[in-house]
Amino acid sequence: MSSHSDNNEEFHYHAPGLQHQFEDMKQQEESVSIGMWMFLVQEIMFFGGLFTAYLVFRSRYPMAFAAGSNHLNAFWGGLNTLVLIVSSLTMALTVYYAQKGNRNMQVILIVLTMFFGSVFLGVKAIEYTDKYNHGLVPVSGWNKRIKEEAGDHHEAAKPCWDVDHNAPVVEHPNPHGEFQWTDCSLVKLAQDHNYLTDAERVGYFNQGTGQIDANKFRDKVRIFYFIYFVMTGLHALHMIIGLGIMTWLLILAWKNTFSADYYMPVEMSGLYWHFVDIVWIFLFPLLYLLGRHFLH
Amino acid sequence: MQNVDAIGSGISEQPKLNYLTNGFTLKSWLLTKDHKRIAIMYLITVSLFFMAGGIYASVIRLELLTPASDLVQTATYNKVFTQHGILMIFFFLIPSIPAVLGNFLLPIMIGAKDLALPRINLLSLYIYWIGGALTIYALMQGGVDTGWTFYTPYSTTFSNTYVMAVGLGIFINGFSSILTGLNFIVTVHTMRAPGMTWFRLPLFVWAQYATSLVMILGTPVIAITVLLLAIERTVKVGIFDPSIGGDPILFQHMFWFYSHPAVYIMVLPGMGVVSELISNFSRKKIFGYEFIAFSSIAIAVFGFLVWGHHMFVSGQSIYAGLVFSFLTMVVAVPSAIKMFNWAATLYKGSISFDTPMLYGLGFMGLFLIGGLTGLFLGAIGLTVHLTDTYFVVAHFHYVMVGGQVIAYLGGIHYWWPKMTGKMYSEFWGKISAMLVFVGFNLTFGPQFILGYLGMPRRYASYPEELQVLNIFSTAGASVLGVGMLMPVIYLLHSLVWGKPAGDNPWMLPGLEWRTSSPPPTENFEKMPVVTWEAYEFGEESGLDLEGARNRVRPSTVA
Repeated sequence: MSSHSDNNEEFHYHAPGLQHQFEDMKQQEESVSIGMWMFLVQEIMFFGGLFTAYLVFRSRYPMAFAAGSNHLNAFWGGLNTLVLIVSSLTMALTVYYAQKGNRNMQVILIVLTMFFGSVFLGVKAIEYTDKYNHGLVPVSGWNKRIKEEAGDHHEAAKPCWDVDHNAPVVEHPNPHGEFQWTDCSLVKLAQDHNYLTDAERVGYFNQGTGQIDANKFRDKVRIFYFIYFVMTGLHALHMIIGLGIMTWLLILAWKNTFSADYYMPVEMSGLYWHFVDIVWIFLFPLLYLLGRHFLH
Repeated sequence: MQNVDAIGSGISEQPKLNYLTNGFTLKSWLLTKDHKRIAIMYLITVSLFFMAGGIYASVIRLELLTPASDLVQTATYNKVFTQHGILMIFFFLIPSIPAVLGNFLLPIMIGAKDLALPRINLLSLYIYWIGGALTIYALMQGGVDTGWTFYTPYSTTFSNTYVMAVGLGIFINGFSSILTGLNFIVTVHTMRAPGMTWFRLPLFVWAQYATSLVMILGTPVIAITVLLLAIERTVKVGIFDPSIGGDPILFQHMFWFYSHPAVYIMVLPGMGVVSELISNFSRKKIFGYEFIAFSSIAIAVFGFLVWGHHMFVSGQSIYAGLVFSFLTMVVAVPSAIKMFNWAATLYKGSISFDTPMLYGLGFMGLFLIGGLTGLFLGAIGLTVHLTDTYFVVAHFHYVMVGGQVIAYLGGIHYWWPKMTGKMYSEFWGKISAMLVFVGFNLTFGPQFILGYLGMPRRYASYPEELQVLNIFSTAGASVLGVGMLMPVIYLLHSLVWGKPAGDNPWMLPGLEWRTSSPPPTENFEKMPVVTWEAYEFGEESGLDLEGARNRVRPSTVA
């Protein structure tokens, strides 16, 4: 490769940052830009598979999804939405100041963007911990183990749909760290008002007795939490990669690399960052907000 | 232009350095950003995977020589056909033409120095190696027996083979083809030489562009599907397990949403190669350029709308089946457009039966059969009888082997003089092309009848009355195997003892024939300016092709 680039410099004048295969900066910028957009297209298809799975199961088991959704904390989700939107603003301003060649503003804004990104991940960690404590991680053994205490069985007599939502939260024993879900009140509600889907009529009820089957309903809520964890987990992974990119940008900005002639890395990183934000803009209502009116 | 005189003499002045002589160290290969070197490394790896897949194929055919399952145990047989499929599809067919021929030729054909994103190109090679190594490792550890389709819930719950490792290998490998596709799209958009308008692009480039669209839009979906499958298999929860309300059919939808378009990844590039071969070896401007170009795009688009025809008997709604059946008929139209245009190109052309052209014509015949039998399978009534029989096996081998592999071999022969600067033995080339054609038909022709008679796929044993046809098939496979091995020998032989090919051995007008063989690292001595239309054999091409052809008739022109 060395002889390759040597050859090159003999023949052409090269602007700084211009790679050998391009004739001029405009061609390079166009190429990088189209490449990034194509990358985002494939990202959309990647998340698209998950959104499809969400759509299929939501339309099949709307009550289980509403029940699961109601256990997510819309405050934390809303806060995270706000945090990400602000981080998009700081990112967009970074691009602006990179074009102006203003090193100090770039550094400040990149640090701010990274700060907001980290806040987002921190909130996500709080939420995941909460799910861990409440037996809502959909994997056996991955939840907090709570020992069974004697005299804890009086609840079992009540049917699973008879739940007082204003009562203080009781810790259920969970000796094996299983996924736990005991509240079938939404199924009862949908049954009484006659809006169960066909899949729900089969999926929530004991086919022998015709009664609501708490375990079968739990499995459907578990599907919601599975989708929740995969979607937000992959999104968080993209955030972490985004923070890595921001670190790289910070180093380049610190060295005062960017100017009106050369700012593509900032713009491309910005595109990625905004994309990850937009994914969250879809995740938040789908996971946190849809179906809240049933209980709130 | 620069090579007018060189054509006559057959050999041009050697340039200072070509891409092969520009550095000999291992580092100069492994860290190269030169698309041609990356293509050569792809060529070697892809060939190794092809041979590995071929060994599995020969085990399958040997097992099916007799009705009883005697050569391998049935459980082993399950692994053998699974691994044959996985290696051939994910590690040979999908990267074959795009990553080898596309990588090498696409930038040269549009007059660029390199692909737009050379580092991404190298990254895609490494991702391919990592995915391939992981898969090979899993196969050596014990392999996988789910069929290449990984249908749930067998793959998630019951199979105790190395589903995870192979799945991960395929997941990783997918990003290699995404990056290749991304690179090609960017390159075609921004790297065309002055004067190289969209409608002057060789049809090979159009086909690569359409393929790249499918790679970018389809591959991420299989990635997320395999990821979900892997999570479900590891942590024992997920969305595909029917016992907790999950949906195994959803897996099939998501799988085929990629894997049907992937079928077009496995044939569109072949169509691109054949467009080149048919026009160039008829020495006639291709008939209906725009139609062939846009039919590639149409295939890429419609290819995304027909995945349900793999699921006619798996419990999808009858109305969905009707729609998918109709759309399957629709997607046959652009393929037919190509066939008619190639036939019209041949008409009154000055056809020379060189080795690449033999492959090109072979493709037309085999793809015709493969395509038409696809319509049988797309017909919603008949398909119930034919689903999961050898009819299906024969059909997709006619398209994938008769289509893509034949086109790939044709392309390798066609551009071999450009890639290596050496001419292979035309005599052995023709012999092997004909052996491949005969052997292929003998292998897979009887399988149509076997399938029609009801022999199911994926079984190690079968009723005795089907043995005669199976013997034909196995005999054909051995002829096919010989035909496929011969190019390895005479092509490698030509590297050392082959005659120097000259810059333009076939006397053709394309841009790739206007640089030296092998091309220099930057592809052209100076930036070409294109003033001629694609497949221009007259004076407008700026080359006196006919004059040169009359002065020197190389041994290749009979």
